[in-house]
Amino acid sequence: MVLVMLWKEIIDNLRDRQTVFYALLFGPVLLPLCIGGALVAGLKQATVSFDEPSELAVQHAERAPNLVQFLRANNMDVVNAPADVEDSVRRGDVPIVLSIPEDFSTALREGQPAPLVIHVNDGDKQSSKEARKVSSLLRVYAQTLNALRMQHRGIDPSVFNSIDVTLQDVSSNGFRGQLLASLLPFLLIVAMVMGGFYLAIDTTAGERERQSLEPLLTLPLARYKLVLGKFLAVLVFVTLSSVLTAVSVFLVFRFFSPEMAGGELSFDAHTIFQAWLLASPLVFFISAVLMTVAASTRSSKEAQTYLGLLMVFPMAPFFILQFINIKSVGITMALPMLSQYQLLERVVLQDVINPAHIALSVVGTLVGAGLLLWGAIRLYSRESVL
Amino acid sequence: MIKATELSKSFNGVAGQKKRRVVAVESVSFEAADGRITGLLGPNGAGKSTTLRMLATLIKPDSGSATIDGYSVQNDVLAVRHQLGFMPHNAGIYPRLTTRENIRYYARLCGMDKRTTETRVDELVSLLAMEGFADRRTAGFSQGQKTKVALARALVHRPQTILLDEPTNGLDVMATRGLRDIIRALAKEGHCIVFSSHIMQEVAALCDEIAIISDGNISMTGSLNTLLQNTGQSSLEDAFVSAIGGEL
Repeated sequence: MVLVMLWKEIIDNLRDRQTVFYALLFGPVLLPLCIGGALVAGLKQATVSFDEPSELAVQHAERAPNLVQFLRANNMDVVNAPADVEDSVRRGDVPIVLSIPEDFSTALREGQPAPLVIHVNDGDKQSSKEARKVSSLLRVYAQTLNALRMQHRGIDPSVFNSIDVTLQDVSSNGFRGQLLASLLPFLLIVAMVMGGFYLAIDTTAGERERQSLEPLLTLPLARYKLVLGKFLAVLVFVTLSSVLTAVSVFLVFRFFSPEMAGGELSFDAHTIFQAWLLASPLVFFISAVLMTVAASTRSSKEAQTYLGLLMVFPMAPFFILQFINIKSVGITMALPMLSQYQLLERVVLQDVINPAHIALSVVGTLVGAGLLLWGAIRLYSRESVL
Repeated sequence: MIKATELSKSFNGVAGQKKRRVVAVESVSFEAADGRITGLLGPNGAGKSTTLRMLATLIKPDSGSATIDGYSVQNDVLAVRHQLGFMPHNAGIYPRLTTRENIRYYARLCGMDKRTTETRVDELVSLLAMEGFADRRTAGFSQGQKTKVALARALVHRPQTILLDEPTNGLDVMATRGLRDIIRALAKEGHCIVFSSHIMQEVAALCDEIAIISDGNISMTGSLNTLLQNTGQSSLEDAFVSAIGGEL
């Protein structure tokens, strides 16, 4: 009978465009694409890659053949700059232009500082990124020249390097990494909530509003079976939504940034599967929350209001963990959602996870789900459910 | 067979107002026999729906008792539900399911196996003349079509006792006549039928027994003739007004 109910709710709600849109499209596809895609693409844009060959427009390349040769050796395809240098950079026809003034080679020969001009549009991310890349290449070139000049005069170039600072980041993640790592639990949890949102409302408050609950309750059927049937239906949608999200997060990273799937942050299939597994007790918890809250309201509208407010909760850990450094002590590991956030972050950052923390997280989450479900059964056993 | 003895039920007043118990049913006693159509006649707010809901085990009476085919509505809830087909005053069917799916869902929930379910659904579709809309989703159905689907659903597990809460509400003349024929046929098969309504002609045309309910109390019971005789009136409407203590 529970299965009959489950099957009916699934068929019924698959015919509801709103439910299908939010459960199978919004949470699992649109959200990872919009948030994840944008974030990854943004980070990628800010990252300078010296291995990728890129085109560099140079004005009067003939005035500095050695420099051009150096640039070519460093993956820059030197091309001739357009005639109206400033306008074409402003318009974005070329990201930047390196122009070589007439007195460049003279100054170089005389041992004077040789002038170079980079035309950049600082309002354009692509342009400033290119400028940063070229200036650092030029710095390397300048250092080589400096060394040659000093050796020519019989001075050891290292005399001028009085301090050698090395910055060693031990956190392996940093702010950017943290942000990216918390993206996975965020997307998974939001997708779970969105996945069950409309179904939970439809099977509880919606059923009451359509007045189909009254005849249903006169059937020879124990109330706990009725609640279980509805719960399982929500569970199926929540689970489906989370699986689809895991798949699309994997694809987003594959598509936008294959190099990120390998490094210190890991978004490969194994990691995402592991993360999903750690998050999976939440499908019970979130289904139970959605169901119990929706069941305690009088109408679909009221249910939407309460569940809408409740949507803040899955987002809260995301922001809290961004700004506050919570030590992973036992108590936070027993809290549903907060514990999954922390565990999933560590999986993505490839940190070591304490098995006791996993156990606490699973038990805490399942106990929470059980209590909520028991509350829903109590609600349905009361007369006021009608 | 229904036996109700001094049923009473009160509810909490509307939230926001001062807490006040609202008495919906004060003391309702009546009997409904198998093979007969018993009409529960009363004005809006008299306690008809509350009485039927207590009989349908949806709410528990504060005091008094009732049995359906010998099972107590307070203590043998599941047994009562097996005996009972209840149709609330709003059809309450699922708009995204077809007629057949709506009926099938209830059949399966009542524990019928697949094959029995299909046979029973076919039977009900032809009994209630629903062939024309059996495979359409019920969203946008006319009130008459919705009522038929809801009735089929209430009958799916062959209940002995059938409770119909204002089934003719919103039906046109032809649909009402059709429904009357169905109800009569069910009574002839030996079912106990309780039918609530506030429409005199409906009750007069259909019911073997009439229980007049007002302000949560049964003020008079009997056949149409008995009621007319007892009140000395010539029409059910006049008898009704006189029975509830109004002025003619």
